[in-house]
Amino acid sequence: MLLTSVIIVLREVLEAALIISVLLALSRIAGIRLNWVRWAIGLGVLGSVIYASNTAIVSDWFDGVGQEVINALLQISVYVCLVIFAVYFAATHKADDANKQRLQALMTVVVSLAIVREGSEIFLYLSGFVGDMTQFTPILTGGLVGAGIGISAGALVYYLLLNLKRDIIPYLSTVLLASVAAGMAGQAALLLIQADWLPSQQALWDSSQWLPEDSVSGQLLYALIGYEASPTPVQAAAYFGGFLLLLGLVALSRYRRKSHADG
Amino acid sequence: MAALYRSGSLLLLVLSLTALPAAAAKPEFKIEIRNHLFEPSELVVPANTKIKLIVYNRDSTAEEFESYELNREKVVMGNRKAVIFIGPLKPGTYPFFGEFHPNTAQGIIIAE
Amino acid sequence: MRSIRTFLVVVLLATMTLVVFIAALRGYRASMSQVEALLDGQLVEMARLLDSLHPDDFAMTEAYDGRAFAFQVWVSGKLLKKSLNTPDELIAPLTPGYRDGNFSGYRWRILAQPGHTHEQWILVAQRADLRISLAEEVILEAVLPIIVSLPLAGVLIWLIVGRGLQPLRRLAQQLGSKRSDDLSPLPIAGAPAELRQVIDSTNSLFNRLALAFDREKRFAADAAHELRTPISVLKIQMYNLSRDLQRGNPNLDKLNDGIERVNHLVEQILALYRSTPEHFMANFSRLDLHALARDTISRYYDEFRSRDQQIELAGHRSFLVGDRFALETLLHNLLSNASKYTPSGGQIRVAVQSDDSGVVLCVEDSGPGIAEEEYERVFERFYRIGGDRHVSGVRGCGLGLAIVQHITELHEARIELGRSSFTSGLAVNICFPLRIDAGVGA
Repeated sequence: MLLTSVIIVLREVLEAALIISVLLALSRIAGIRLNWVRWAIGLGVLGSVIYASNTAIVSDWFDGVGQEVINALLQISVYVCLVIFAVYFAATHKADDANKQRLQALMTVVVSLAIVREGSEIFLYLSGFVGDMTQFTPILTGGLVGAGIGISAGALVYYLLLNLKRDIIPYLSTVLLASVAAGMAGQAALLLIQADWLPSQQALWDSSQWLPEDSVSGQLLYALIGYEASPTPVQAAAYFGGFLLLLGLVALSRYRRKSHADG
Repeated sequence: MAALYRSGSLLLLVLSLTALPAAAAKPEFKIEIRNHLFEPSELVVPANTKIKLIVYNRDSTAEEFESYELNREKVVMGNRKAVIFIGPLKPGTYPFFGEFHPNTAQGIIIAE
Repeated sequence: MRSIRTFLVVVLLATMTLVVFIAALRGYRASMSQVEALLDGQLVEMARLLDSLHPDDFAMTEAYDGRAFAFQVWVSGKLLKKSLNTPDELIAPLTPGYRDGNFSGYRWRILAQPGHTHEQWILVAQRADLRISLAEEVILEAVLPIIVSLPLAGVLIWLIVGRGLQPLRRLAQQLGSKRSDDLSPLPIAGAPAELRQVIDSTNSLFNRLALAFDREKRFAADAAHELRTPISVLKIQMYNLSRDLQRGNPNLDKLNDGIERVNHLVEQILALYRSTPEHFMANFSRLDLHALARDTISRYYDEFRSRDQQIELAGHRSFLVGDRFALETLLHNLLSNASKYTPSGGQIRVAVQSDDSGVVLCVEDSGPGIAEEEYERVFERFYRIGGDRHVSGVRGCGLGLAIVQHITELHEARIELGRSSFTSGLAVNICFPLRIDAGVGA
């Protein structure tokens, strides 16, 4: 049971921690106050409890695939917000107060939506063990280990980003955000395939022999770049399309700002 | 949420109208979860065909049907059922498990 | 503000958590497979035990209803004996080896093993959930202390980092609590190697700054001193000239006025840079500020009378330790300021009071007063309210209040500006803190 709770908690915490630390590092260099993160986490946890306690109702929607559809919707929302954020961030380098507030609002939405999606699964898992004292220690221990690894990785990424050279941070953060966002797009595609809303196909490749998804490094890569051992063509297209779309839009807005500044 | 549901079902209606013949041809399979065990724990399905798997959870607690080989993951709430579309699969064996109780809730899908 | 302490604690703790937890997970996995191998070995032993029994023995043994274990013995495709917790069918196919399977509502680890005769098969099984929780209980005992000790490590790291950064914090404190005019070097004894360069550089900067201040003071004082003699000569020649020329020549009066102003400026500069604080303290004596104020008022009484101004002195005998000449200068500057900026017929009130905390001198006038935003600036040297537009029929060089502040600081007193208790005007409050030696004397 210990390993199970480590994996479940780690997978969800790691992804949220990674998004939070990249956004926190970006806030820091843009001179945005960090208090939005408290709101985002609070809203996210509240949302995930509400979502988790209504999973039974949601599951029955859309002929029994409501869960997939709503989760895909959440993932797509996170992806879209991340794209808007990255583009807006690139377009407004010298942020005034109004810009900062808009960026703060976007980050709050991204993080709280991500936590709603990630956190609800932890709550569902834990709710199954309420009253079962025999499993208390292993589950609590596993949860702590998983959360500990996830949060530590997030903290290290945050300080790693901040300790880089000032002009590299926005580029690296954008690439990191792009890969996290692409992971969201890929996940959304997978969920819609599972719901039979998108065509199901044979997997393009299978790398589970070298790097199983349920290993710690597999989980780390899943959170970081949305690693999937055997993706289908639709999924891979969503992933790489999402990745390139974000980077392309950011590059475009950067270019336009530059030419604006020159002209 | 109700509006979302309606528009979603409308979309589904359009989708299902266009894909009606295929949907009708999809074979259905049933699995039960009881006392954190899959019943049956071995399921033989036709290869190269898309199938509809219905998982009934007879326990009071939630379970998550998960398979890395099938790329599927879905929470099945206590005393409820869930629909999962699988395949088309190449012939072979595809293990699945209940992520919330992986030590006992284990099973295998055999595509022939 | 990025804190070094937070950075160190968070990064150290995060690195430690990652390393320790991942190591603990590895340990858990390795131990788990060890324990499973051990339990598998037990299944083999049990199968061999069952195999060693003669078929007749089974007939005599009573039915076994196990909780964690189950078995079946098959001979030539027929069930010879089974534990009550198994079904009548085969619980696993008859191929040698381990497998996992479900029966009787549980998941089992099943071993199928051919018996000593070809027809006999032994099937033994152990409940999977119990195996796992048994193994986990054993391993948790080993892993748990590592995880529980992590918060303790966090507290220790927090304390150690805090201790390591203490010299830095102490240096910051020393610099922060330094008075703006205190240019004495920081103590270097006991400073760690990493800070030595910082302290050395800071001290050398302080030193150069102190020298520069000193030079500035000395230059001003020397220049003023050197100017005294020619001004005296000028005054004498002026006197001689005035005797030669007829009286009441307006140009002569203007020239006279100009010389008086230069003289006043030089005297003020000399008062401002009279000596260093150390030299000053040597001349300190115990004196009555109330009496000193009375003397000063009477000395300059004619000035007030000529402008038709009322002056009153309130308060009582108040002793403090200070420099008589400096305090006279201070009183004179305050009184002449008050007189200067109060129109004819105005009022001036001087109060000297003492209590347990010290002596308070208050000089109020009924003049126009000063706008609050000017309070800071009036102490600047050569600053005059209104700048070049300043029109007052009286002499002034803009040094008066700067000198007052200088003397106040030398006496470690505090100066405050405010509104006077008259309908308009300025109130200058100077609080001299009680010094232990003065208290004893009184």
